[in-house]
Amino acid sequence: MNSANILLVARREMAQILKMRSFWLTLLILPVALALGPLLGETLADTDPTRVTVVDRSGAGAANALEARFTADETRYLLRELSRYAQRYDLQGADRAALWTQRDRWYTPQDLAAFEASGGIEAALAKIETVRPDGVPRFEIPNHDYRFAPPPPALLSAQGDAFAAAARGLFADDPDDTNPEIIVIIPEAYPADGKIGIYSADDVRGSFISTLQEVLTADLRTRLLAEDGVTGERATLVQTIAPTITIDSPPPGGGAREVLLVRSAVPIALSYILMMSLILSGSWMLQGSVEERSNKLIESLLACISPEELMYGKLLGGLVVGLMMLSVWVGCAGVAAYATQGAIADMIRPALEPISSPGIIVAITFFFLAGYIMVSAIFVAIGSMADSMSEAQGFMMPVLFAILLPITFLLQAVIAGNDGIMVQIFTWVPLWTPFAVLARLGSGIEAWELVGSGVVLGLAIVVELVLVGRLFRASLLATGQKPTLAKVMQRLRRTPDAG
Amino acid sequence: MSVLQIHHLAKRFDTVLAVDDLTFSVSSGEIFGFLGGNGAGKTTTLRMVLDIIRPTSGTIKVLGAAPDRRATSAIGFLPEERGLYSGMSAIDTIVYFGRLKGLREPLARSRGMELLERFDLADRAKSQIGDMSKGMAQKVQLATALINEPELLMLDEPFSGLDPVNQGLLENEILRAARRGAAVIFSTHVMQHAERLCDRLLLLRRGRKRFEGTITEARAHLPATLIAITKTDLSALPGVMSAVAASAEGVEGEEWREWSLTLAPGTDPGAVLEHCSSQGIALRRWDHRQASLHDVFVQLVGPEEVKP
Repeated sequence: MNSANILLVARREMAQILKMRSFWLTLLILPVALALGPLLGETLADTDPTRVTVVDRSGAGAANALEARFTADETRYLLRELSRYAQRYDLQGADRAALWTQRDRWYTPQDLAAFEASGGIEAALAKIETVRPDGVPRFEIPNHDYRFAPPPPALLSAQGDAFAAAARGLFADDPDDTNPEIIVIIPEAYPADGKIGIYSADDVRGSFISTLQEVLTADLRTRLLAEDGVTGERATLVQTIAPTITIDSPPPGGGAREVLLVRSAVPIALSYILMMSLILSGSWMLQGSVEERSNKLIESLLACISPEELMYGKLLGGLVVGLMMLSVWVGCAGVAAYATQGAIADMIRPALEPISSPGIIVAITFFFLAGYIMVSAIFVAIGSMADSMSEAQGFMMPVLFAILLPITFLLQAVIAGNDGIMVQIFTWVPLWTPFAVLARLGSGIEAWELVGSGVVLGLAIVVELVLVGRLFRASLLATGQKPTLAKVMQRLRRTPDAG
Repeated sequence: MSVLQIHHLAKRFDTVLAVDDLTFSVSSGEIFGFLGGNGAGKTTTLRMVLDIIRPTSGTIKVLGAAPDRRATSAIGFLPEERGLYSGMSAIDTIVYFGRLKGLREPLARSRGMELLERFDLADRAKSQIGDMSKGMAQKVQLATALINEPELLMLDEPFSGLDPVNQGLLENEILRAARRGAAVIFSTHVMQHAERLCDRLLLLRRGRKRFEGTITEARAHLPATLIAITKTDLSALPGVMSAVAASAEGVEGEEWREWSLTLAPGTDPGAVLEHCSSQGIALRRWDHRQASLHDVFVQLVGPEEVKP
């Protein structure tokens, strides 16, 4: 084989693909999405807390209980985030005795009270600031979900339908965004009358209703126990008693569920990118092959080069275009990560950990290239048999189903941390091996599996190229005949007839 | 010097014997016509010479060696079914094929421009093939076959689809290549082109050679006919295979008759005339009609293979 001819064909293939508008559109879709995503996210995100007012006509203190519960939940969430931040950046030295420098745990009401008593988040951040190295981002205090405010005067005296009308009036006439968005009405006869009303400007989150229900249910049960002679203190204890649970999960970037997701992000993204770029560059290659057949170009080409040179040139051209696309996308992702820093950079750093060793980089490169050759060769074979794009699509559909459907299941399984028999099978079937191995690199794959599946994949590609070469050679000049499955099998088996 | 030598070549596709025991050779500077009807085996033979398909048996030698892609730089080929990349410019297309034949880019580009100028397409060098007329695209394709100044130029049905002007241009290019020393072999089933261009030709029928030789030899393959007006009975003349007499129109006197004579193959019409003269046979007309290549073709491959 003449390598100069292979390069010439590859160069022409690339030039043809680069002339296509669809190539440039596809190339730009990801960078544009990366650029617009954060902008849209910031623009569309609702960071303002939902304004809540509780009209407690009973005077039984339910409103206070509600507000206390929502405040406690938010403080608990704040403590958990602060604790993870301290672990992630190794800032426990700020105050080793503080709650937020200890491992994840369930924070009891006493813990929350102690946190507030020690100065709350401001005091914690001040301590952290004394030990925070350069380059470690500042802790971002989570937004409040709800803000409780006293009822507006319009609601205080209104009853029945007038109350509903007043509530709707507040929702409708709110030019300064200051009126309540959720109004909870506790009737005068509460707890005897347990009908609690909620008026809302928008859909109410399920979590809000369930928390409301929990608080008021606990209140009703406490009252019931008290009526039965249980002291108020005991009744409250019955309602609030809970085990103290400590959570021993690895710090971010180290293993287990959240870590699995973070570490798998880049490998799974690679697997997706391989799939996407393959489908795209494969369809462009297919167009080129179909054009050569439908334009009766093949004989002129075969008078100059061998079918194998033509086939390898096409594969190489498609591979280079695919890698070019991948480089642009990865480059844009890097620029986006560098530009945005903060949360995205925090995520990318641990996500890059599993692919930072030279061995893994070699493995990624091998499986990516091998995957490309494996699937592209099928597209090239289809192109050699089809006289038109519609005919080619007839061959493409079953092939795409055979590749894409299992890979979709595979990626979901890997994301879910499932390492079962299905994932194992995908790892060893050469058509899916590149996708399976790339996806599993983050969650962990044994070295013997990596090497073994790589060897099997390499051998399968050699066999595939021999068979596709035969099919390609035999199909090129057989225009006007729609190949049946039997004919395809015959062409795959037959020893070379053409030169 | 023989540029192409084919010896006992055969090609079988499943049950069909497409080429059957074919032997011929083409020399440098020679224009060789490869004639035959549809399915005669012309394209199959050319594809075997190009190593696109391999023979079932027999040997092929191109410039003294078995055909392979290393001979690409010495071969120019214009296929019967023509087409080019519609998105490529004319000059890029020619350069691409030139480079596939081993030329360096600057040489391929300069030769490509020379050819386009010769074909009156220099101003369309950067036009995309898809934007050109069919005739223009065919000339670009001819340029791709000539770009490497081949020692063996093979043209498969080169005149099909060309208008008379472009047919003339193609004839000139064939003659130019032969004058340069190339062996030119072209297949056709249109006899007029072969009659005008070929030094030698080969007639093929269903894969088998029916004739190989010069045009004169081909014509000699069929008996010559003579038309004579005389008072003498010519049926007994030596070399005359058959004679039919009829009254001679426009000639006064009932004794004058028009004879249509079919000569035995190989008989020289001049010798028959000389015999008449020596015998004192008075002649008022003597026409020698030689068989056309078309007649030879019809005779050898059958009328069903003839395309007007």
